[in-house]
Amino acid sequence: MTSKNHLFQSCLKIIFGICLFFSANLTWAENEQDAAIQIPVDKLHEALISIMKNADSSSFENRYDVLERVITQQFNTPLISRVILSRYWKSLNEKAQTDFIALFNRLTISTYVSRFDSFDNESFKNISIEPMKQNRFLVKTELIQNDDKPVSFNYIVQNDNEQWKIISVIANGINDLSLKRGEYSSVIKEKGYDALIASLKQKISDLEPKTTQ
Amino acid sequence: MTGSHFLNLSKHLIFISILAMATGCATTQTTDSTADNVDSIEPANRVFFNVNETLDKHLMKPIAETYVDLTPQVVRTGVTNFFDNLKYLNVILNAFLQGKFEQGVNDSLRFVFNSTLGIGGIFDVATNDLRLPKNQEDFGQTLATWGVDEGSYLYLPLMGPNTVRGVTDQVPSTLLNPFFYITSAALFPISALDLINKRANLLEASNLRDEAAIDPYSFTREAFLQQRDFLIYDGNPPVSGYDDIFSDADEESGGVLVIE
Repeated sequence: MTSKNHLFQSCLKIIFGICLFFSANLTWAENEQDAAIQIPVDKLHEALISIMKNADSSSFENRYDVLERVITQQFNTPLISRVILSRYWKSLNEKAQTDFIALFNRLTISTYVSRFDSFDNESFKNISIEPMKQNRFLVKTELIQNDDKPVSFNYIVQNDNEQWKIISVIANGINDLSLKRGEYSSVIKEKGYDALIASLKQKISDLEPKTTQ
Repeated sequence: MTGSHFLNLSKHLIFISILAMATGCATTQTTDSTADNVDSIEPANRVFFNVNETLDKHLMKPIAETYVDLTPQVVRTGVTNFFDNLKYLNVILNAFLQGKFEQGVNDSLRFVFNSTLGIGGIFDVATNDLRLPKNQEDFGQTLATWGVDEGSYLYLPLMGPNTVRGVTDQVPSTLLNPFFYITSAALFPISALDLINKRANLLEASNLRDEAAIDPYSFTREAFLQQRDFLIYDGNPPVSGYDDIFSDADEESGGVLVIE
């Protein structure tokens, strides 16, 4: 009876050990994945805080360069462009698609540089990561301001060739991807694709200082 | 209720009914675009949008900018608090209608404290000293929580963006505003101040829109509809809603998103 009890206890210990091992591995893997998902968002926030802090001492071009490296690497602009242009994407030839991606990338960077142009001790706070379909994740963060309510900044992140990249930014509930898709679709329908491109070029020109090409 | 008040209410109800009928027919059309489905009366909406934009550019915006130049921020905050407090009974009612009883009680306390200690609502003592934050509820949100479809997008003369569901809020918000029951010439300048102050509070947002938008009409529509969803879900819309926009790309790539 004693040896049976001993055997039973040993079996329980082994089963418990195996469970602990797998659960620890699972938690470790989840933590590893969460950390990897968070990387593009953290890098963007770091760059934004940096250009905000240097807004007075650094030129638009310099701040553009800082952000260009981060946005080009951490945003999946080809996918964003494809989703924004929706059904019009397929009607474009390869060169037109590449040109649109480059133009949209420039618009994104210019917009960020233009908006994040002063610093008042703002900081970003990571809130949570929630799973979506097709291995996409929603990374929830907040921009903490000194004398105002926090602004919700959420990001949709998806894996692209072994690297997690941002595919959408949602500021206080307004999804930039969805907003631009609706807006660009209206412009194409009303005035045509060339008019959209002309408007985007004009918008970039308005955002960039006159000294920038 | 006086005769003129009843007439005003009737006008609101008739106006809403006509809109609901007009847009109700339009939303049955099937199109291949989400925007087409939501904005089924786009031509009319665009006309009203252009009228409002012209009025705003030449009248409301310059007045609001002058108002901002002439009044210190502390005064504008007091004016905003006063008018927000007057309209807060509608927030309280809709919190209860949505089953948010704890929030409804807190909102009631907020109204009582701000109306008394906050001197008619001029000072927001509830947020600053009593940790009773301001909430945003309206009858459109209540109908959404009850499962009523938002209906078509509307751009209304003088009132701006809305939906068929959202415009129904005009009835309770008018009836629950204490000013509705006062008949006095003094209401004209007070209402004008409310309008100017409201426009002044939107100056930053409208400047941002003008800076970002390539088509201000559709930009306003998209931003408004998304902001409404955000409010309906109290800042936490379901994550699954964000997946919809990728459905075409997901299908094309057989479940795995690949960019050539």
